[in-house]
Amino acid sequence: MFFRLLFESFRRQKRRKSVAFLAIALGMSIATAMIAVAAGIGDKISQELRSTGANLVITPIEDTLDVNLGGVDLKPASEGAYIAESDLPKLKGIFWGHNIVGFAPFLGEQKTFTKNGKNFQAELIGTYFDQTVRYGKETVTTGVRSVNRWWQVEGDWPQDYEDWPNHAQAAGERRCDADVPRELPCRLEFSLRSSDAAPGVLAGRGLAASAGLHIGDLVTVADRQLRISGILNSGGGEDQAIVAPLHIVQQLLRRPNAVRRVIVSALTKPEDAFGRRDPSKMTPAQRDRWYCSPYANSIAFQISEALPNVRVEQVRQVEQNQGKVLSRVSGLMLLLTLAALLASVLAVSAAMAATILERRQEVGLMKSLGASNISVASLFLTEAGLLALAGGVTGFFAGAALARTIGSNIFGSSIEVHPVVLALILFAALTITFAGSAGAVRKAMQFDPAVVLRGDA
Amino acid sequence: MSRRQLFLRLLVKAAWVRKDRALTALIAVAVVATIATAAITVYSDLDNKLSREFRSFGANVVVSKPAGALTRDELARMDSTLAAKHLIAPVAYAIATGPNGGRVVLGGTDIKAFRELNSSWSVRDAGHAGSQVLLGSRTADSFARHGEAFTVSYNARQTTLQPEIVFASGADDDSRIYLDLKQFTELTGIEPSTALVRVEGRPQEIEAAINALRSSLPGFEVRPIRQITQTQTAVVDKTRAVVLAASTVIVTLILLCMMVTFTSSVLERRKDFAVMKALGASNKTVNLLFAAEAALLALAGAAAGFVVGSGIAFWIGKANFDAAILPQAGLLLPVLLGSAILALLASTAPLRILQRIQPAGILRGE
Repeated sequence: MFFRLLFESFRRQKRRKSVAFLAIALGMSIATAMIAVAAGIGDKISQELRSTGANLVITPIEDTLDVNLGGVDLKPASEGAYIAESDLPKLKGIFWGHNIVGFAPFLGEQKTFTKNGKNFQAELIGTYFDQTVRYGKETVTTGVRSVNRWWQVEGDWPQDYEDWPNHAQAAGERRCDADVPRELPCRLEFSLRSSDAAPGVLAGRGLAASAGLHIGDLVTVADRQLRISGILNSGGGEDQAIVAPLHIVQQLLRRPNAVRRVIVSALTKPEDAFGRRDPSKMTPAQRDRWYCSPYANSIAFQISEALPNVRVEQVRQVEQNQGKVLSRVSGLMLLLTLAALLASVLAVSAAMAATILERRQEVGLMKSLGASNISVASLFLTEAGLLALAGGVTGFFAGAALARTIGSNIFGSSIEVHPVVLALILFAALTITFAGSAGAVRKAMQFDPAVVLRGDA
Repeated sequence: MSRRQLFLRLLVKAAWVRKDRALTALIAVAVVATIATAAITVYSDLDNKLSREFRSFGANVVVSKPAGALTRDELARMDSTLAAKHLIAPVAYAIATGPNGGRVVLGGTDIKAFRELNSSWSVRDAGHAGSQVLLGSRTADSFARHGEAFTVSYNARQTTLQPEIVFASGADDDSRIYLDLKQFTELTGIEPSTALVRVEGRPQEIEAAINALRSSLPGFEVRPIRQITQTQTAVVDKTRAVVLAASTVIVTLILLCMMVTFTSSVLERRKDFAVMKALGASNKTVNLLFAAEAALLALAGAAAGFVVGSGIAFWIGKANFDAAILPQAGLLLPVLLGSAILALLASTAPLRILQRIQPAGILRGE
């Protein structure tokens, strides 16, 4: 009898049922889409914030201070300590290696360049542009093109040269200069491929203007020819420098395997009160938690464990402020989501209440035929439950599609909905429809059946 | 009872007698108006609020004079050119010799403005309050581990520095010493030719400020620090786009939800409709009655929604940005009108279906 009533109610009141179903599905798709967007926006905005630059910087531990003006390194290459380039792939091997989205090493020195017999002074900077780096079985490409995304190049980006130390093999002549520090391997000079007779380099915008450099020009430094493949606009000190592939610069400066500074772009968790605490004063359990959280400080600590004799610091301007902006944006989305959830709860409840209130004649009829309050209520609530489940599932898929569209239209990468949200949405749909129906059912039952049936109420 | 009195009476009684029915319709409209008001209010102030957060990234424009030092007059001109809130710190650098004979970069600047620009530095007190000497953490490690006074020399001149604070920035500044510009010039004889400028405001306002600086200081190099200005533009634009998309989705869906509720509650009243028709009411009168009822409910709901929505926007601003997002009075009329029109659409559409049916049929329960 119960099932028959239930079935017939769906069969005969298609319009009423579809109104309730539609309301639930719409409400739940809002909930799904907003939860997905709010959960996904942190990552997406974090990706955008990456373009403020690297948030960690690695320098060798040494006694002498950096002498760096306007981004130009004035310390002679013979002075101070280095980081071994061959150690850099270890960055990917730390606990939070997957959070390291890119890094770029730098080595530079003031040099005298010659173009058409005229001399000019500029800093020669070596770095990775888009270098392939192998760590174990993993291969990653990294360099300034992904780390310093604000660098604009007119013309072509230069080519990187082969990996250290593989490129050393083809060479014949062995060189080991007296001034190569002992900790660095004395290595074979690599011979350039014929097509690369003059390696491509970038000329800073300011330097290009003052020294009259154009794309395609050849400049000579330390008896080696370099070809300007592009003009760099970085907005920083590099605008006054020649930026070349790291391995070319190492060779020119006779500093094989050496880099002076590495900038690292890592995905970090904004610092909270716990992240700011001094790890040396933590209990072992707290320290484990700290170590396993991707705070900038704990990633810096892990890097200094992996690389010998380096100092790793967070670039506070980038790291501190990225976290702040990120928390504002996520906070905003969270609050908007709350407001949207509240609105959909109200809308769904109102729709459920409206459909049930209109059915008090039915309630009156059932009660006059001897139905108890409980059996009437259970019929209505079962109906509501079925509607909630159907509406919830439909709403979930519609909402997921919406979230995906928003993601791919705005960020160029879709926002995926975690399957656990489905359970959440179904639970929410049931709760909301029950809450919306319960009041209306109770109200409908309070009326005297006789009055209702006469149509007086 | 005149026609008009009867009409008004029907209108009021319809809502009064079936309070629950009127209430659900009212809630439905109010929810739509609330969410639309909140979303639009937040959206319209979002670039402002988010841009404020980019203040703490520090200087976003560098102005440099190609030859010679910046004069007091030129600094004053920069100050007066910038309409938006801003901060200017002239800077000059020199390479001096530290107490251990090593080289160190000395910077001279307006210490107060410079510290404000670099608010993200982690700073510890070095004990000499008011001396206006800022010591980078790496410099401190090599010259003055405990913040003691030390001597630097430039050419033949020497001066003793008493560090006020030691800072950590993670950037090149950590290997530098910053002094007040006056003390710096006395020691080195160098005057600043570059100024770091922070212009506050939305991306387009910063752009306008850069152009204004360029035209008021001809020959100077005015360049934005692109990693900051570009990121600000990208983050503000994308967040706005997400909020806009999400709000559109929410408002549209809630609106559909409301219209469905509204339509169905009108359809449920086909008996009222049939009785009126049977008693001789014209189609026009019935339409007018239903429309007036819908419009009244919608206006009341929308007014309530506007108030609640403005409150929500205000609260979101307070809670998330520590600055209130003020209600937009200009939004009241569109919200009221929009709600009324949509409610009219939602309630009159089913009437057209009902009009095709004979009143007798409805009354018989067909």
